[in-house]
Amino acid sequence: MLERLGQKLILKLELGPLVVSFDVVTVAMSLVVSLILIALALWLRRAIPRDPEAPVGRKLAFLVGAFDFFHEQLLGGFSPELAKRLFPMITTLFLYVLFSNWISIVPKAESPTQNLNVTMGLALMVYALSHYYAIRTKGARVHFRSYLEPYPFLLPMNIIGDFGRTLSHGFRLFGNIFGGTILITIVLSLTAKVIAAIPLAAPFGLVFGVGLGTFLNAWFGVFIGAIQALVFALLASVYIRLMAT
Amino acid sequence: MNISGEHLVQAIKYLAAGIAMGLGAIGPAIGEGIAAAHALDGMARQPEMEGALLRTMIIGQAITESTGIYSLVVAIILLFVV
Repeated sequence: MLERLGQKLILKLELGPLVVSFDVVTVAMSLVVSLILIALALWLRRAIPRDPEAPVGRKLAFLVGAFDFFHEQLLGGFSPELAKRLFPMITTLFLYVLFSNWISIVPKAESPTQNLNVTMGLALMVYALSHYYAIRTKGARVHFRSYLEPYPFLLPMNIIGDFGRTLSHGFRLFGNIFGGTILITIVLSLTAKVIAAIPLAAPFGLVFGVGLGTFLNAWFGVFIGAIQALVFALLASVYIRLMAT
Repeated sequence: MNISGEHLVQAIKYLAAGIAMGLGAIGPAIGEGIAAAHALDGMARQPEMEGALLRTMIIGQAITESTGIYSLVVAIILLFVV
């Protein structure tokens, strides 16, 4: 169990001088997550009635409640027009990261977010979008001049600040999810060794192992996964707002 | 028993990963605890501010956590890359 921890299945494609390598499991799992989200969206969309006068069903009430919650939690305190433009992107980011984290509770399944390339890609996307929204709301001149504030000689500090922010944004999600996976593996294999060393404990070993595994997955997969998805989306919206206003 | 340099590197690698993670976890733990304590203080005083306080607390804790994440990354690099 522990020996396989750092290993990955890599597919290498050679396109002339360029070598592109894919982590097959991560690509497959993130496609699965996307399919789950698309299926969920199509299923929930049917709840929206054609005429607005129809009575509100349970699914529609859930949908409205969830969207109100996202709007309040992720974009609270934003100016209305920026919130309206950001809402689909931030909510999609939150749901994608949330389901990526949660899918690791399925046995044998790996979170896409425990691969650094995925989280760094999302963080870089947020960084690029923050420049895009800043230029759209303030104009390129004002935006790039803000790097010379408060003093022009602090320009390197501002650039390093941007760099470190994006780096820690990607590493935070990766570190939390990957760390949780390592911890689950280590605790379970250590417990198995301890139980194997105690005579007469073998009959309880399976029950104890299943219980411990369930608890660890519930904690690191469901709880930490939800918190980290919220943190990732929240930080993305805060970074974009800091740049854009 | 003959210990070659390779074994020494292996042993020190694991030791270093443990020390990096253990020491690196102290700071964020204390910091996040302080943040949560003060947020709870504020919530007890003004329960109507709970939503905003919770959101700000989570952002603050996430940024406080960065140093812990850096030490985790260093530990992972020591374990799997070096």
